[in-house]
Amino acid sequence: MRVLIQLRPSPDLVAAVADPSMTATTSDVSDGLPGVVLDQSFTPVAVPRPVPASPTGDPLSLNQPLVYSMAPDQASVVLRGEVSDDEVNVRMSLLPGRRDVVAVYADPVIETSLTCGGDPPVGDWRDVERLMRVAELRAEGLDGSGVTLAVTDTGINAAHVARQLGRATTVDRDRSWSPDGVPGQPGEFAVDHGTMCAFDALIAAPRASLIDIPVLLSERPGGSALDGLLSDAVAAFAHLRTVLDAQPAATRSLVVSNSWGSFSPRWDFPPGHPGNYSDNPAHPFNLIVGSLAEAGADLLFAAGNCGRDCPDGRCAYPDRPITGANSHAKVLSVGGVDVNGHRVGYSSQGPGRLTARKPDICAYTHFAGSCAFGADSPDSGTSAACPVAAGLVAAIRTQWPASRLSPGQLRTLLRRSADDRGELGYDYDYGYGIVDVAGIIGALRSRADRAA
Amino acid sequence: METALRRLALTKEDVDTGYGLVPLDPDKGVFGMRVTPQAAQRLTEGGHDFDGPWSDPRIEPFGPPR
Repeated sequence: MRVLIQLRPSPDLVAAVADPSMTATTSDVSDGLPGVVLDQSFTPVAVPRPVPASPTGDPLSLNQPLVYSMAPDQASVVLRGEVSDDEVNVRMSLLPGRRDVVAVYADPVIETSLTCGGDPPVGDWRDVERLMRVAELRAEGLDGSGVTLAVTDTGINAAHVARQLGRATTVDRDRSWSPDGVPGQPGEFAVDHGTMCAFDALIAAPRASLIDIPVLLSERPGGSALDGLLSDAVAAFAHLRTVLDAQPAATRSLVVSNSWGSFSPRWDFPPGHPGNYSDNPAHPFNLIVGSLAEAGADLLFAAGNCGRDCPDGRCAYPDRPITGANSHAKVLSVGGVDVNGHRVGYSSQGPGRLTARKPDICAYTHFAGSCAFGADSPDSGTSAACPVAAGLVAAIRTQWPASRLSPGQLRTLLRRSADDRGELGYDYDYGYGIVDVAGIIGALRSRADRAA
Repeated sequence: METALRRLALTKEDVDTGYGLVPLDPDKGVFGMRVTPQAAQRLTEGGHDFDGPWSDPRIEPFGPPR
């Protein structure tokens, strides 16, 4: 473990370290500390001593007006070193008080910056495939065969997806659906956001059957080419309910990936208004979401791109940007991490508006993948993380239909098995953590053994 | 749709007929329709048997971040 060691050597030495015209080295300050490998490349740093501004102040309190003294008889010096991981507690307890040591502190890794929109890709989809343990999933018979995976988005270009993945893809044209007036055939829409989502969903579930729901292509006066109205999503979910109900109860499985949401309260009634969407579980879309989940569908929503570190320029909620169905209790709200496991700076943080503990989990994003936005542009946003997680859910459903593992049980499994990041336990940056496929496979095996 | 229009005293011009009557919760017999702002106002003032009107906000893809 890397540590910082604070020492109070002789005033002459402190003065030499503090003097910018002189160069003192670690070996000048200390000829060694037991159990510590001192970093000789680190230039010692003088640290001032906080002193109460008032003569009657408490010398042991930092919660009062202070002045900082660099006087040689008061300042201290910091060195850098390393302590064996299995001796950390002993060394940190016993070193203070010996050989001028005042205290020993952890020297944690600090991040330079988080990945933001516009940054180049971090890794590629093969990295995601490895991290999602797709080979192990396949060995377990979890490849999405026979599972229906709906992508509600801007439409899918199946030829592009197949070309980029290097394998055939299946779009179920009969069960696909378009809002009234949207031209085009399922699987044949222009390459755009929906194509990226389809590609990302098929990473973990290569044999899933896609349902194309171009809900964001709905045309209306004043709208842009790539947005829709929530009422289009209401109608889409009503269609998906018919898809689900038509499946045999014993093998029912429908995974729905939703990489969209509302960026601004401008289009909504204000919270507290009976017709509001963002904060209102009684809104028809929130009702239909609950109803579809209750009927056996797995619903995944992107958490959004309004993370505090580098929010999307469209973000207009002053706080709590995970709104409406994206924060529904019966969906998985998916945040984004890069392939190094670091949260991307734009991934929205909780608490959610309908349910506080949002996001639920994180999955991978910002990798080179579908090339839907050009060869050099990553699959990014929580838009990519959501279908990556949806693909995992579809893979699980290959052997575990809703009759065997309810959507609620599956959500719990994903949360409990997640690789905890950030603060210990649940936190509003990573939720319960990053999806952990090894943990999921182990839990499913145990569950199967118990059932046998 | 005809029944819904009659019960709510609406005309076809008041609603989006292409959108139709959408089952929200078929188990509970709850349906939804898209109406003009003017029709929504009349419904609110008319004391009809319905819930709403509800907001119909714009939805957009969550990526790529801009």
